[in-house]
Amino acid sequence: MIELKDFSYTYGTAESSVLEKINLEVKQGELLLVTGHSAAGKTTLALAMAGVLHHEIGGRIEGEIIFKNRKIVEFDGMKELSRHIGMVFDDAESQLIFTSVEEEIRSGLENRGYSRKELMRRLKEVMEFCEVRHLRNRAPHTLSGGQKQKVALAATLALDTEVLILDEATAELDTKAVRRIFSILKRLKEAGKTIVIIDHNIEDFLEIGDRVVLLEQGKIKAIKSPADFTAFSPDSKAGITEPARPAFSVSYKKGKEKQPVISVRNLTQRYGEVLALDNINLEIYSGELVALLGENGSGKTTLVKHFNGLLRPDSGDVIIKGLDTSVTPVSELVKHTGLVFQNPDNMLFEDTIEAEIAFGLNNISINGSEAEKAISDSLELVNLSKKLRVFPRHLSRGERQRLAVACVIAMKPELIVLDEPTTGLDARESDSMMQLVRKLQQEGHTIVMVTHNLQIVKDHAERIIRMEAGKIVEDTGNREYAGREQISIEQVGGTCA
Amino acid sequence: MKEIMQYINGDSFLHSMNPISKIAAVAGVIILSVFTTNSMVLALMVLGILLASLKAGLQQELLRQLKLLVFLSVSLILLTVLTMKSGATLGYLIPPGVFTASGSFPVTTGALDFGVVLSLRFFAMLFSFQLLVVTTRPSELMKALLAIHIPVDYVLMFVIALRFIPSLQVEGQRIHEAQLARGYNPGKGLGGKVRSVKPLLVPLVANSLGRTQVLGLTMDMRGYRSRHSVEKDRLVWNKIDFAAVGCVALTGIGVVLTGLI
Repeated sequence: MIELKDFSYTYGTAESSVLEKINLEVKQGELLLVTGHSAAGKTTLALAMAGVLHHEIGGRIEGEIIFKNRKIVEFDGMKELSRHIGMVFDDAESQLIFTSVEEEIRSGLENRGYSRKELMRRLKEVMEFCEVRHLRNRAPHTLSGGQKQKVALAATLALDTEVLILDEATAELDTKAVRRIFSILKRLKEAGKTIVIIDHNIEDFLEIGDRVVLLEQGKIKAIKSPADFTAFSPDSKAGITEPARPAFSVSYKKGKEKQPVISVRNLTQRYGEVLALDNINLEIYSGELVALLGENGSGKTTLVKHFNGLLRPDSGDVIIKGLDTSVTPVSELVKHTGLVFQNPDNMLFEDTIEAEIAFGLNNISINGSEAEKAISDSLELVNLSKKLRVFPRHLSRGERQRLAVACVIAMKPELIVLDEPTTGLDARESDSMMQLVRKLQQEGHTIVMVTHNLQIVKDHAERIIRMEAGKIVEDTGNREYAGREQISIEQVGGTCA
Repeated sequence: MKEIMQYINGDSFLHSMNPISKIAAVAGVIILSVFTTNSMVLALMVLGILLASLKAGLQQELLRQLKLLVFLSVSLILLTVLTMKSGATLGYLIPPGVFTASGSFPVTTGALDFGVVLSLRFFAMLFSFQLLVVTTRPSELMKALLAIHIPVDYVLMFVIALRFIPSLQVEGQRIHEAQLARGYNPGKGLGGKVRSVKPLLVPLVANSLGRTQVLGLTMDMRGYRSRHSVEKDRLVWNKIDFAAVGCVALTGIGVVLTGLI
């Protein structure tokens, strides 16, 4: 179907090539998995296969790509290729062009010139297939990250192209949603579609994959069968020192005698009609490492926004270190609670890393030599000391995430809240992130991390709180959770990375 | 958060109109309001638009812009009064005897009239455009614009600009929260606004630019440039369409005949 022959590629202004002498054939009806670290050239390979490099981006291209026995460069641009190839990208927000979910899916169908009857049938089918029917009249910006990804996938599936390329398209989905995508892809494969899945975490799809391509620094390092790949156990496990297991739930029990750092009583929060938090009661003690689990939209982020006063309770109380958040200004609360959001790009704006950290310090009136010390200490901790004068947006995603943490820990809050600290990071990056989290705990910080990644929860959390539809449905120490979850992961093949 | 310029789901008579006739009516209103200098005609037009919004139950939507428009009008009227002298003098901004014997900054009827005309133009244009946007599904708006042979690139630009208004609002809010979490407190008033520009706008603009490539590719992949056919029968004309376009056309003819332009 798609054949790359000695394909090398260099982006316009770059000096070194992103892909080097790639020889790869994707057969008709095959489900190919492509994996590798960040900056291994995965996305570039996806763009190459779709013909985007030739027709849209340009740059230095060597070798050739054959699609359906024709050179891809000979096709009439993306106009013609888009009838055969569908592609879903990782940034879901940018793939939603219209103002409602139904329109989003429908507009693509209309472009293909389906008859009205056929159009309605496909629309209904795809919406049910991807479980987005209940969202049909919602506007894209009101959806959660996971919901957006499902809609973006639905809009592409609706087009019914022979080839489907997914570039990190499931990064923000929770276990259940990934499972759903898995069964969708399985059915598509059975229907004879050619599918390429590109992800730094392909474990969820090994079962239906035909071959696994391992990319490293722009070259194909190995092509394996999924079974071999599991045995080979990629970098996600091997080569990384297994962090010391936490002493399960010990500090949780011990903590109970101490004063709580966070105390939440009967907290209820509404967003218009939606009951985002429903009578939450919670106490978190000094030195704990708590994981806050739950599906997309279960209220996790809403809850943690109460910990530094970004949200004020509709009813109930949130007490942080003895301060009532409904009357204490955010600028005071941030001295006690450091909240790091999921997307570091939403906070980085300075020209150097040093200035970026200094911004927060200056805000709470730490200046001069005290600030310098705080900056160098925090950079030491996140392992970015050598990059003091680098432009923050030139860092890799993992480094930017760690910089975001550094910005917050420099302010020395006792409580650190991390919202999805490993989303978008590859195995190596997310491991160094988690080692940082453990280090912070050893330094005496209390840590709450919001996540849907069961693997890091199992490996690192001491106490696990699970939320569902705005309620806490489970609050346990790790040991019993880990034991029980082990079974359910095997049952459902949960997200691991 | 209140969203601006977004489609509102509904079934008013404006919703059931053909987007092409709505576009024609809005274009008519805009052309008329640019060419006429008669404040009565303009006032009637604004009144007509308001009545239409009342009928469709969308008056709240229009009135949300009132603060901005009133601010704009007051500034415009003040500007014309300060810069234009024609017609009878009604009085002086600074009365005679305060600084000069004859008073400074005379307020003339011509200036007032022109200021009012300028303001009403903005009212008519903004209100009619807003009614079009909030009552037409973006995909239908797109179809209509393509049907009247606006180049597809411009149509997509327009539709995407509308679509990303609330996304930018949401993202701006997120960035604001992320900076608040870093203890950022710009303070209130104009000074605060100026200080907040860099921490808020830099991430917002940088993120938006980063997004354009995926957005462009997605449109190509979904085949917006290679539309097979547009189902023309879905854009049906009905009585209201004829009435609306007719109304605007009649007003136009009336204006021309009576020589009010």
